Amino acid sequence: MLKLASIVVGLSLLAANHSLALVEPAAPAPEAAQPAKAKKPKIGVSVPAADHGWTAGIGYWAKKAMELHPECDWVYATASGPEKQIADVEDMMTKGIDALVILATESAPLTPTAKRIHDQGILIVNVDRGFINQEDEPAIADIFLEGDNKAFGCKSAQFVAEKMKKENRTNLVILTGIPCTVDTDRVTAAKEVFAQYPEIKILDTQAAHWNRQKGLEVMQTLLTKHKKIDAVWAQDDDILLGAMQAIKEAGREQEMFIVGGAGMKDVVKMVMENHPMVPANITYPPSMIATGIHMAASAMRDGKKAEVLQFMPKHLMMDVELVTPQNAKQYYFPDSIY
Amino acid sequence: MNPASPRSLLLTVLTRTGPLLALILLVAIVSALSPDFRKTENFFNIANQMSFVGIVAIGMTWVIILGGIDLSVGSMVALLGGLGIYAMNAVAERSGSPAWGIAAGAAIMLLGGPILGAVNGMVVIWGRVAPFIVTVATMAAFRSIIMYNAEGSEIRSAVSSFADLGSGGFKLEFLHSSRGLPILLGFPTLFFLGAALVGELLLKKTVLGRRVYATGDNPIAARYAGVPVNRVTMIVYALSGLTCGLSALLNSSRLNSIASSSTGQMYELDAIAAVVIGGTSMTGGKGSVLGTVVGVLLLGVISNMLTMLGIPNYIQGLVKGCIIIGAVLIQRTQQR
Repeated sequence: MLKLASIVVGLSLLAANHSLALVEPAAPAPEAAQPAKAKKPKIGVSVPAADHGWTAGIGYWAKKAMELHPECDWVYATASGPEKQIADVEDMMTKGIDALVILATESAPLTPTAKRIHDQGILIVNVDRGFINQEDEPAIADIFLEGDNKAFGCKSAQFVAEKMKKENRTNLVILTGIPCTVDTDRVTAAKEVFAQYPEIKILDTQAAHWNRQKGLEVMQTLLTKHKKIDAVWAQDDDILLGAMQAIKEAGREQEMFIVGGAGMKDVVKMVMENHPMVPANITYPPSMIATGIHMAASAMRDGKKAEVLQFMPKHLMMDVELVTPQNAKQYYFPDSIY
Repeated sequence: MNPASPRSLLLTVLTRTGPLLALILLVAIVSALSPDFRKTENFFNIANQMSFVGIVAIGMTWVIILGGIDLSVGSMVALLGGLGIYAMNAVAERSGSPAWGIAAGAAIMLLGGPILGAVNGMVVIWGRVAPFIVTVATMAAFRSIIMYNAEGSEIRSAVSSFADLGSGGFKLEFLHSSRGLPILLGFPTLFFLGAALVGELLLKKTVLGRRVYATGDNPIAARYAGVPVNRVTMIVYALSGLTCGLSALLNSSRLNSIASSSTGQMYELDAIAAVVIGGTSMTGGKGSVLGTVVGVLLLGVISNMLTMLGIPNYIQGLVKGCIIIGAVLIQRTQQR
């Protein structure tokens, strides 16, 4: 109990110190004038709470990357929604962070907060979900790192469509994720691809919420509804595992193949081992948060932020890769939790 | 009030069948619209899919009749399921026997449930805190414990035979699916119906059940009438925990895993909705488990129907909402 109390007191003192320094930036406290080496940069990492496998992977890779950089002080928080995330980030400001790595729960609500922080001279590395920039103003994020959701939809759909064409398959079912911009980008891109193959018939598009149980239930219903399904484009590996179980239970494994996405280790393993139902996968690595953390640390650790930022990329689009039995090995991380 | 008079008899029948009427109406309409919906195997699927939340809704019925509420059920399912799988994996590995592992896992879930439920009950009784607040708090706490342990990820069963319980069932040789295969009456469905029967009998035919109604109707009067209100409250919350344990057991077996972040999410709301659709009064003192079973099936039919009729994703919530309100209204008019 005493220990807890002293931690609380210590933290609030720390916070008070830093907020004072923020109010009067013109008169630097004597400690701040000490050689830059002595002071560790403090970096905040704000990510969505684990609500499905992929976001759990984000947490795993964030922790891993932070451990690699003990030369920085890390403040880590997970948020279940935009309101909590704004509060998290404000708390981090009170704690006196010098840089922020953020994967936004939602783009629009986080934008004003991010802008306010950036205006105070805090380095911002934005991962995956971008802020909304005004055209006549400088970008809010110093570095923006995103996965290519359109390519995610497009490449996996391309694979499915080609395989269907080659094997004379026509009936397709689409399972989508939690309704949001990421999901829309992927599904729209995929549907554009499928539209180029007139022989492919989309039987149904149903939401399975990036969730195994939902995948199982929705697929079970679709199997009852449709006599013949040739392929399932499931977009996500949690959904894939649920849907596969439904297909197996219905005894219809021979009838269709299924392509998920995001590179869950179990599914990559299936691809690697030439699983007849799972011919391919597509990466959307949660390790991208680690890339962002690594970049923030390397920009901050020598106290030469301005110089480093001169050559750091402003915008990085990480390509997504099609995983096939030939290359699956390089995407298989048995120790990862995702 | 002559119970034998035709008018009151008719009233009783209608009150009892109110939610059932809504269910039959909906099934009839959807059957007319969709030939796939009518397939025999579809009804078995719906029942099986709804068993997990249905079992939880049985406990919820008791709690609501008592005049309380339990919002922690979904988190409890995830926590119990997760802890059970940990125990199962550990015991199976040490003893080298999958059967011992499954027994240990099942024991953790079925014994842990009443314990967690009793925690809710204790704070409600001795802390004199409103059940809503207590269970909002434990909802957050239970979920957090399992997410902390699993780092937000999935907890997987390492015992492959464990999956037989949730995915298995009895083959009904006399009933065939549209593909000519015998239909499976799933174990989860059997557990759901069995638990509902036990829940209803306990409620209607035992002293405990009568005490639950009395407490929910008027706790002060019940206390004066000699009902041990505290003990009854404790037992009811523990029973709610037990149903969560059973649901966790079947759910973790069905998916061979527990997703610490998503398993059981929104169970509390679906369960409460089913209870209310089933004619149980939110203010306590009135209601039945059989009504809840009908409410659960109605929710199942709605979500199945949305897919069967190919209703676009974003509008599904609106359709679902309207039907739920419609069902409750039908049920209420019958009660008057």
